[in-house]
This record gives sequence, structure tokens and C-alpha cells, in this order.
Amino acid sequence: MTVPSTIAWEKRAVLGKARDVWPGVFLGAVICMSVVILALIVIVVWLSFRSAAPSDPSATWTLANYPEMFLDSFTYRVLLNTVGFALVMLVVALGFGVPAAWLVERTDLPGKKVLYTFMAIGLLIPGFAAAMGWLLMLHPRIGLVNVWLQTTFGLADAPFNIASIIGMGWVQGLNLAPLAFIMTAAVFRAMDPSLEEAAQMAGASLRSTLRSITLPLAWPGVLAAGIYIFTIGFAAFDVPAVIGWSNRIFTFSTYLVLQLAPTEALPRYGSAAALSVLFICFAGLFSMWYGRMQARSHRFQVVTGKAYRPKLLRLGRRKYVAWGLLGFYLAMSKLMPLVVLMWASVLPYFQLPTAAALATASFDRYTRLPWDLIGEGFFNTAILMALTPTVTLALALCFSWVVLRSKTKGRGWFDFIAFLPHTIPSIVFGIGALLLSLFVVESILPAFGTIWLLLLVFVVGRISYATRMTNSGMIQIHKELEECAQVSGASTIGVLREIVMPLLAPTLLNAWLWIALMTFRELTLAVLLTTRDNMTLPVVIWSLWVGGGFGDAAAISLIMLGLMIPVVGLYWFVAKGNELKSV
Amino acid sequence: MAVRDVSLDIPEGHFFTLLGPSGCGKTTTLRCVAGLERPDSGEITVGGEVVFSSKDGVYVAPNNRRIGMVFQSYAIWPHMTVFDNVAFPLRHLKPRPGPAEIRDKVMKALALVQLGGLEDRPAPFLSGGQQQRLALARALVGEPRVLLLDEPLSNLDAKLREEMRLELRELLKRLNVTTLFVTHEQIEALTMSDTIAVMSEGNVVQMGSPTQIYGEPEAMFVADFIGKTNFLKAQVISVDGGSSSDLSRVETQIGPLSCRLRAGTLQGDGVTIAVRPENVELTRTPMTAGDRNAVQGEVEAVVFLGNMLDCVVNVRGAQIRVHLHPSQAPKRGEAVTLRLPQEHCLVMPA
Repeated sequence: MTVPSTIAWEKRAVLGKARDVWPGVFLGAVICMSVVILALIVIVVWLSFRSAAPSDPSATWTLANYPEMFLDSFTYRVLLNTVGFALVMLVVALGFGVPAAWLVERTDLPGKKVLYTFMAIGLLIPGFAAAMGWLLMLHPRIGLVNVWLQTTFGLADAPFNIASIIGMGWVQGLNLAPLAFIMTAAVFRAMDPSLEEAAQMAGASLRSTLRSITLPLAWPGVLAAGIYIFTIGFAAFDVPAVIGWSNRIFTFSTYLVLQLAPTEALPRYGSAAALSVLFICFAGLFSMWYGRMQARSHRFQVVTGKAYRPKLLRLGRRKYVAWGLLGFYLAMSKLMPLVVLMWASVLPYFQLPTAAALATASFDRYTRLPWDLIGEGFFNTAILMALTPTVTLALALCFSWVVLRSKTKGRGWFDFIAFLPHTIPSIVFGIGALLLSLFVVESILPAFGTIWLLLLVFVVGRISYATRMTNSGMIQIHKELEECAQVSGASTIGVLREIVMPLLAPTLLNAWLWIALMTFRELTLAVLLTTRDNMTLPVVIWSLWVGGGFGDAAAISLIMLGLMIPVVGLYWFVAKGNELKSV
Repeated sequence: MAVRDVSLDIPEGHFFTLLGPSGCGKTTTLRCVAGLERPDSGEITVGGEVVFSSKDGVYVAPNNRRIGMVFQSYAIWPHMTVFDNVAFPLRHLKPRPGPAEIRDKVMKALALVQLGGLEDRPAPFLSGGQQQRLALARALVGEPRVLLLDEPLSNLDAKLREEMRLELRELLKRLNVTTLFVTHEQIEALTMSDTIAVMSEGNVVQMGSPTQIYGEPEAMFVADFIGKTNFLKAQVISVDGGSSSDLSRVETQIGPLSCRLRAGTLQGDGVTIAVRPENVELTRTPMTAGDRNAVQGEVEAVVFLGNMLDCVVNVRGAQIRVHLHPSQAPKRGEAVTLRLPQEHCLVMPA
């Protein structure tokens, strides 16, 4: 090769003056999305200060919604319900999750992979499916266990009542235990094991090491996980909707939906908005507290070389006790509800599993299901499942690029805005979208009742998770890899397409599948924004359930879970591949 | 501000080095040339074409500057093969060369850096030295007007680094590539460069050939940063009359010394005398009365460094470093005479 000592500089300098449009496109997309996120919040706040629905010409500015909310004793009832529900849920979730995390990270428990698999899948089983199963087991009137105990022991009253705060908290806690497990496992993993070993060298027994070193060090991390889960429980919709709704036990989320879609009155937008603002305030406080706890837990973390493996505690025969506890959890949270759903789906009417009942069991119900409705729901869900992760990740890439790679002034704010949907309960965004589509853009953009409105809120709901994934992925790409491509002649879009995207591919695929699965099971946002024309599969199930079609709802839930299996399998395969690559 | 008032003019085919401690602004200067940073003001031209000018509002993006660059981390794209890494700059040329031409050029570039035959290997499967060569091939393949090297040798082990220093210089000279090289290693700068610019705190302190930079440092910073130096605070007693035999006299902590002052220095001025350890002569014979620039001292420490001895001699409380051949081992506590030849006593501002 010869490099000529003089090269005609061609017309490159002139070419270079032509503006690269892509940075502008990315920034534009980020600004649009940020505006949407903020608008959805602002419209809720705005409406909380209006005397009537915006469509009503007599509507004026007012502060009345707030006193009305605070003077209504039912508000306090709901608040009390919600706090009680979230606390029970927290105790259950941490009670199963933390010991499981400790067992996996710090002991030689056999079958850790199996446990991890069940926990990850557990997160994906829709909360409403588990709630249905539990209601059919422990309903005071029709619950299998209750009926069986009553007939066997001749009890006058049902011994259990799932339609209570404790019952709902129990079910929600079982649902969120995998999250507690995953979050606290990370805490145990990040802890420097030499701190514990030093305590043992100093003469402390295992028990006193646990008490004086392990737990104090893990505490901020566990507390942070607790606050996080409490926040989710506070805003939970699925379980309170399935179990509490028909028994008139409301928590924040279900009460909000009731205000917006009451059965016998007009929607009360003003008070729903005021309630949402209160909700936002709570959520803000929780996430501040969470951030503080997390910072404290990071302070205890010592980054050790990856070759370092902490010494694992030998369980010996105690492993049977450990697996007993874990087995109990898995049976309670996954197996039993599903078995009951299956049982309910093959019976013409719900009854105890006796020989007589078994004789009536058949798959007839499956042939008589409202297949039109299911098909429609599935079609809509499938479209959303394909589009939501794609759009969300495309936007998340723009966000990460602007925040991490551009020199745009105030780029930190975009990151903050992208994180808002994580902090603020998604139901608030649902309400914002409802108001926006009904009253603000109704005439120009008839989005209400279409799946595009659902797409919008689904994307908003997942943008926080997606940006966290793309941010951490992009941070791991050495900046010089991109700069080198730039110097080598690649434009902004070229660098993104040929360097960043291929290197991010495992992260993107992983996130895509996760968001797709979350979209598939999403009920909260869909319930608010669904009409007859844009029903998703979870909404079809919920509407059948509310209408008393327990057997049909159970059957469709099972079909839905069956449909999830291949995607979950794919996700598991991809996640495993990534795990291997990162080692 | 990382860099201010830096003005460099690099002739074609020249190997130009920016040398300085970390944080002195040398990498920022390099990145400004690459277009990865935008200076607040000033002008950058490459081959006579303006690529940046704050006055005229010109900024050519890095991808349109046609510059080759080797990064400190090598920035080898891990998802590509060796071939694809090298072909990348060619594939982004406008107009894009045909596949045959690309293949031809890539193979030549790989042969040039002795990586022929490895083109199908995934890039992460190369050793550190091979990755460095690959980065060089990729930087050269597009026939850039300027090659920018950002501490390219710092990640290699000591032996390989020494080999690469000579090989790299030889290759770039043969290709006659204009090179801007950034390093904090004085030995790399001294062995490879045509011209060195020593930078400190965003300024160029001294610019010159390696022998000038080493032999005639103009500032304490340069003398201190490049090689080891004994510094002596001094005050001018008498200024020379201008003839070659006539020398100025200064008073230092270790006694009076003769040396050549810079023009304009006045009697009574404070100056600093710098003497390299290898230029100090050590003898065991006591000094005589007529000995100019000789001082008496006591050996305080002797450190064996393999190819030489590093001695510290205490002269009236001042510690003078002397480099000696290993055969010439003085003992600790021994009384010795040091001679500081006047031609090696460099005078710089205090």
C-alpha cells in the first residue's frame, strides 16, 4: 500500500458543512416523548382544579375537589385499605423472597437454576390469573377449601375469607415475592463476602455473623427493595380488581377506576384527578425514600473481582427444610391457583373435586367459549405485543443517545422525565391518556377506543425500564469504539447502525421480549382505555370475570398462559445466552 | 480550560509528538484535530483545508475529515472480523470503492502490519500486540492526510512496546505519513519523533527536536519532566564579557560554579542551574585549588539499576544525583569529588 504524500482534499470540507440530520431526529423524538409524558401528568393535575369535565362549558377553576376528597370518609377507608393491603403484601413478599435469595446466594442449596427459572416465570404469570385461582379456593361462599372444611368439620362459617385486605395482600405478596427475591439476591451478591469471613476469623459463630454483619450490611438494600415493592403494591390493580371489586373492597387503583367508570353515576373526573394527584405525591415520597436507601446500600457495596466466589454455607440436611419452604411457596403461588383454574374450566358449574364432579368434567366449555371475542382480543394484543417493545426500545435508544452521547444542554432532564413513569403509578398515566383522548385531542385525533391509544400508554409505561436497559448497555460500550467509527468515516446513523446496535443486540433482544411479555399480561392500563373496539385479551378475561363467568374467565386465562409459553421459552433461552456471554 | 493558545504547524511527512503529563491538554489537542472536540476559538487546517474555524463558523464532522486515528484502547470493534474492522473506513468512503478494491486494500494494509492471513479471525481473538497492529492498519487503510496516535503503545508490555516504537516509526517514515503522536512517555517521544512539543497545563512549553528538548531544556518543567535532573538555586555573581573563553560565575548552595548565562541576565539575578546525573563526573581524587566547577561531597546512597548505578552524593546538605557505570562502585560514606562540566550546567529562569 502506498500512502500518497499529497491527497487531493476533494470536496469533503464542503460536504462536511452539510448538517447531519440524525442528531436532530433523535432529539426531536426525545422531546416529543418527554412532552407526552409531561402532558399526561399535567392534564391530570389540571383537571383536579376544574369544577366539571372539560366538555362541560360551565367548568371553572376550583379548589373544591381537594376538600371534597379529604372530607369524604370513604377516601380514608380506601387509604387505610391500601396501606393495609400493601403492608400485608410486603410481609409476604419479603418473607418468601429474602430467605430464598439468601439461600441461593449464600448456601450450597441444590437446584438453584430451577429456583431461578420458577422465580423469573413467576413474575410473568399475570396477577389476575393467580387472584382468580385464589378466589375460587378461599371465597367465603364458593371457595373450594372453605366448602370442604365446612362440610368436613361441620363449621357454620367459612374459616378463610380471601375477599379481605389480608387475603388480597397474601395473593399480591405471593405474586411479588419473585421481585423481592431478584432484588435482594442482587444485594447479597454485591456484598463483600470477606467482611463476613473476617467476622468468622474474629471468632463469631455463623449465627452471630448473620446477625451482626450480614443483616446490617444487607439491611439498606433489603429496605430499598421493600420500599420499591410497597410502592408497586400501593398502586396494584390486578388483585384488588379481581378479588376486591365484586366485594366492594377498594384500594387506590380500583377506587380510581370506579370513579371514572361508576356503574350507576356519571364519571367523577375532578375527584379522580384530585385522588391521582394525592397518589403522585405518595409515589414521589416513596421514590425519594427508595433513592436514599439505595444510595446507602451502594455505599456498602465493594466491587470485587469477578473471579471471587464467596464461600457457601453448607446446608447439609437443612436443605430439605429449605426446599420445603421454597416448595410451599411455589405450590401456593403457582401450582394451586393454576390447578384450581383448570378445575374450574372443565366443570359446567363450580364444585368440590368429588367423583361425581369429575364425572361431569369435560372440555365442552372450551368449545363454547366466546371465540370471536377471544380472537379479537388476541389480535389486538398481538399487535400491541409486537409494536410496544419495538417503539419503546427505538425511543429508549434515542433517549440514551441524547443523554449519554450528545452534548445537548439539559440532557439530564430527559433522563429524569424518562424515569417518571417508573415513579408515578402507571394508572395515573392511564387516566391522563383517557382525559387527553376524550377532551383535548378528541376532535383532531379520535384516538379513544383505538389500540393506538393503548400503544401510547403502554410505551409510556415501559419507557423507564427500556431506558434503564439501553443506558446500562450503552455505558458498557467503550466510547472510543464509536469515536473510532466516526473518525473512520461513519455518520451518526452509521455509528448507531453498525457499532452501537450490533453491540447492544443481546440487551435489546432481552428487553424486547420482556416488554412483549409485560404487554401481553397488562391489565391495569388496558381496563381504563378499553371500549368494545380495542379489547385486549386480559380485558376480555376481566370483563367475563366481572360478569360472573368464572369458568370462561378461567379457561381463557389458561389459554393465555399457554400462548405465553413459547415467548417465555425464547426469553429464557436469550437470557441464558446473555448470561453465558457476560461470564 | 484544558488547552489555550496552542499553535502547531506540522510539515508533511513529519512525526510530531505532543509530550506531557496526564491532564496537560495533549489528548484534547489531538481530539480537536480529529473533530471529536470543538475548540472554543481558533482554526485548524489539514493539508491547507480549513476543518475548523471559529471565525468563519466552519466545523467539519470527524467522519468527513479523512483522518486516521489509533485510540488508546485500540477501539477494535468486537463484533467484526479482522477484515471487517480494516474495511470499515473504506466502506464509508464517498464514493464507496468496489468490493475487489476494498479487498485488495485491506489485504495490503494487513500485510503492512504483518497480520496477513488473520483476516477471517474474529477481532477479539487477537493478542494485545495484534490488536494494536490491527488498529494501525485500520487507521492507515483509508490513506489519511494525518495519522493521529493517542498513546497507542501504553497498553503493551514493556518488551513489546520497545519493539513497536522502532517498528512504528520505521513504517510511518517509509509511508511518509504525517503523524501527530500523543504520549506521556519521554522515551517514546525521544526515540520516535522528528519534533516534540512539551505541554504543561494547556500550554506548549517548548518545541524542538528530541536532542534539543533533552539537551537544551529551556524551562525547569521540561528539564524535570524529561529525564532526571539536579536543580540548584543560584545567584549571579559576575556576568561574562561576551568572549567565548570568559564565563559567568554564579553562587549556589554547593559552591561557586562557572556557566554560560542567557543573554540579558544581570548580576544579582536569581537563576536555576540544571545538571543531568549522567553529566556529573565522580572521582575519588581530591579536588585541587584550580579545579573549576568541582565540589567535595560524601556518598549517601548507591542503588544498583542493572545497566548503571544511581548515586546520591551529599554536598553541603544538597543531594546531587550521579549516574555511574556499574564497574565504578563507590561506597556509602566515601568522600568523593564531583565535577559539573560548565557546558552541561544549563541555566534557566529561577
